[in-house]
Amino acid sequence: MTDEPTRDELVTPSRSPAVEETRRRSAALFAVLGASDATMAERGDAREQLVHLHLPLVEHCARRFRNRGEPLEDLVQVGTIGLLKAVDRFDTGRGVEFSTYATPTIIGEIKRHFRDKGWAIRVPRRLQELRMQIGSVSATLTQTLGRSPTPRELAEEIGCTVEEIVEGLDSGNAYSTLSLDAGEESEDGPGSMLDAIGVDDDSLEHVEIRESIKPLLDALGDREKKILMLRFFRNMTQSQIAAEVGISQMHVSRLLSRTLDHLRTALETD
Amino acid sequence: MPLTGSDELPDRSDVELRIPAQGVYVSVLRTTTAGLAARLDFTLDDIEDLRMAVGEAAAIVLESAADDADLRARFWLGDRTMTVTVDADTDGTVMVDEDSFAWQVLTTLATSAEFSTTDERLAITLVMQATPLEAAL
Repeated sequence: MTDEPTRDELVTPSRSPAVEETRRRSAALFAVLGASDATMAERGDAREQLVHLHLPLVEHCARRFRNRGEPLEDLVQVGTIGLLKAVDRFDTGRGVEFSTYATPTIIGEIKRHFRDKGWAIRVPRRLQELRMQIGSVSATLTQTLGRSPTPRELAEEIGCTVEEIVEGLDSGNAYSTLSLDAGEESEDGPGSMLDAIGVDDDSLEHVEIRESIKPLLDALGDREKKILMLRFFRNMTQSQIAAEVGISQMHVSRLLSRTLDHLRTALETD
Repeated sequence: MPLTGSDELPDRSDVELRIPAQGVYVSVLRTTTAGLAARLDFTLDDIEDLRMAVGEAAAIVLESAADDADLRARFWLGDRTMTVTVDADTDGTVMVDEDSFAWQVLTTLATSAEFSTTDERLAITLVMQATPLEAAL
């Protein structure tokens, strides 16, 4: 470690003695961990101590996710996995505090736990696995049988008892996704279901307008109708229309704007 | 439609479950129903349908159940068929709204559904026939 102030110190210059002590021990242990002449036993010991030293950090992170249907102990457990990863990956040369580095890793691990195990009620792992097996096997059986399978057929296929299937089915009711808007996981992070839902087609509105404009067009005089048609369906310029109808371009312009105004007002008051 | 005349159902059901007439206990009824259906070789779809139908039936009965009433469910188990009657004491005579959402769901899911109202008791009976096991053509 250098004597340069770390980024943490720049942001929060005052620290309690306890935090200071943790920091000091942490740095010392990482020095052992990174020392080229340390024995395997020494490194293992340092790693162990580092994990113990930062367990309160894990608990702190886990507590932020309390009351979300997962027991705090489980969250601490998965958070600790995050801590282990952080200890193994931490590079003292980066000049950041270990806690700064570890916190996102720990929280990431806890969040992944929620994503993977979006079970509203804690269901034993055995049942979760069975439930998944039931899901995949029943999909296959539905294909081959042309109907949904019975628990007996599932049990035969999976190699368990009908009782276990019934148990698995019940536990399936405890599963619920966290939110309807919680989306499929992808490399770029979860995409929301809302992103996949279509929007109203803009043309729909046009259909409505077209339908309501029909009777209005019918009520127009022949010449106005012809000018509208030439302008908007044949895409002719006002001068071309003028030549076609045998009036001046100015006249075409006046007639067009008057007709359009008339249509617009009629549509709005409709 | 209201239950008319006497059915061929024996007086004694094969399984009987009595629970407090409170919403929180309906899940017990639903789970029991599913467990029984699984043993009758119902398909998963049938089981889900039946589970839902019984839940709706219980919801309808609960709505009219007297304060201190019990909800009783009786099951007659046949050859890949199940008849379930859910009933409870009511305050006075009640009617089932056949246009209600719950009743529509129930009649759609079950093979047949009927209700009977006596002076002080509302009973909903539904029959569920399992999907034939021969492969659909």
